[in-house]
Amino acid sequence: MGYLLKTEWWKWLCMVMILYTIVAGLLLPVPRLPILNETIRVLHFHVPMWFGMIFLFSGSLIYAIRYLRTGDNRFDIYSYQLANVGIVFGVLGLLSGMIWANYTWGEPWSNDPQQNSSAISMLIYFAYFVLRGSIQDEQQKNRISAVYNIFSFSLMVPLLFILPRLSDSLHPGSGGNPGFNAYDLDSNLRKVFYVAVVGWSLLGYWFGTIAVRQSLIKLRIDDE
Amino acid sequence: MTRFVYLIKKDFEIDWRQQSPFTGIVLFLSSTIFTSYMAFGGFISDEVWNALFWIILLFTAVNAISKSFSQEERRVHYYFFLCKPSEILLSKLIYSVAYLLVIAAISFLIYIILLGMPSFDFNLYMINLVLGCIGLSSTFTMISAISMRASNRSVLMVILGFPIVIPVLVLAVSNAKKIVNGFIWIQIQGNVLSLLSVDVIIIVLSFVLFPFTWRS
Repeated sequence: MGYLLKTEWWKWLCMVMILYTIVAGLLLPVPRLPILNETIRVLHFHVPMWFGMIFLFSGSLIYAIRYLRTGDNRFDIYSYQLANVGIVFGVLGLLSGMIWANYTWGEPWSNDPQQNSSAISMLIYFAYFVLRGSIQDEQQKNRISAVYNIFSFSLMVPLLFILPRLSDSLHPGSGGNPGFNAYDLDSNLRKVFYVAVVGWSLLGYWFGTIAVRQSLIKLRIDDE
Repeated sequence: MTRFVYLIKKDFEIDWRQQSPFTGIVLFLSSTIFTSYMAFGGFISDEVWNALFWIILLFTAVNAISKSFSQEERRVHYYFFLCKPSEILLSKLIYSVAYLLVIAAISFLIYIILLGMPSFDFNLYMINLVLGCIGLSSTFTMISAISMRASNRSVLMVILGFPIVIPVLVLAVSNAKKIVNGFIWIQIQGNVLSLLSVDVIIIVLSFVLFPFTWRS
């Protein structure tokens, strides 16, 4: 109980927001649309995963740059663990999107630019982990993986702009398809969606802080 | 200034004296093209013709450029005291672009002899090919520098390089497909320019990041 009272305010906020997202996201009325029907509720669980992932990967990039500037090992741990949690969000976003696409587009994978670019970013970050695993020397591992992190993130960004131009998309909000705003006439979706984005991103940040603290403790134990 | 010319000359001399790497690459692509000829010969459509050529070029490029830094492992200490990182990278970039262009020319020649050539705007195709080769070789040069310190280099070259090279590859392949389908310069101008800008991004990033992989 004492621990709970000491918990920082944003953790409480995060818990309340996610609880609200789950309850309200599943129970509040949604617009009835052909094909989409009730699957529109995935908006509160799938889309925030991408916001969370981009948020965490950007954090990882910032700490990679700070590591190269200072050479402080802590920044490397931040960078690595944020990428770690980011990939969990990415995988969840990909899976929830595939389940949704299976019911609305008729197949889990349909050469959609959004799907392809997310799959590529997953590949990049899995390669980042393999790279970290295959360099023995601690200093070199940190520095070279930071270099790869920056290099690949900076090339992922143009990719996100290039791919949609080359092929047509079924995805809501791109390729001439309306986003959810067009359906959300009574703002019921919006009431949950914005809370969901902030809530899931905070949860990602929370996971990140726990993972970072754990590795810092591990590092200190190894040093002693 | 002259130091990077010497570095390029040294790379060329190494390749000239021990001819096995270059011959190996040429043999690699000849046997790949011959295998594709046995598999696709006679019923290949224009789009498949183009896609297959780029896939062969991609795999050849990985194999050809991966040696760029891994052959330097024992000489790293000399370079470290003799040259600036930017000079080393510049020499490597120029050499690997030239190397890949030669290889692309050879493979294009063998490819059209065996699999024929649809009619299209040849000069435009070549401009796109050169831009694609610059992108491929500069990306793989940087990846070669990254994977130099790692234990399983050849696997790392592929898994680190392929996701990153996708912007270059999708732009180059889709431009080439449009050229093969008879599009003219005005219609693909935008995409060719974005390919050029991706090349510039890769090269600039390499110059910024390379010194960090070099220091040890």
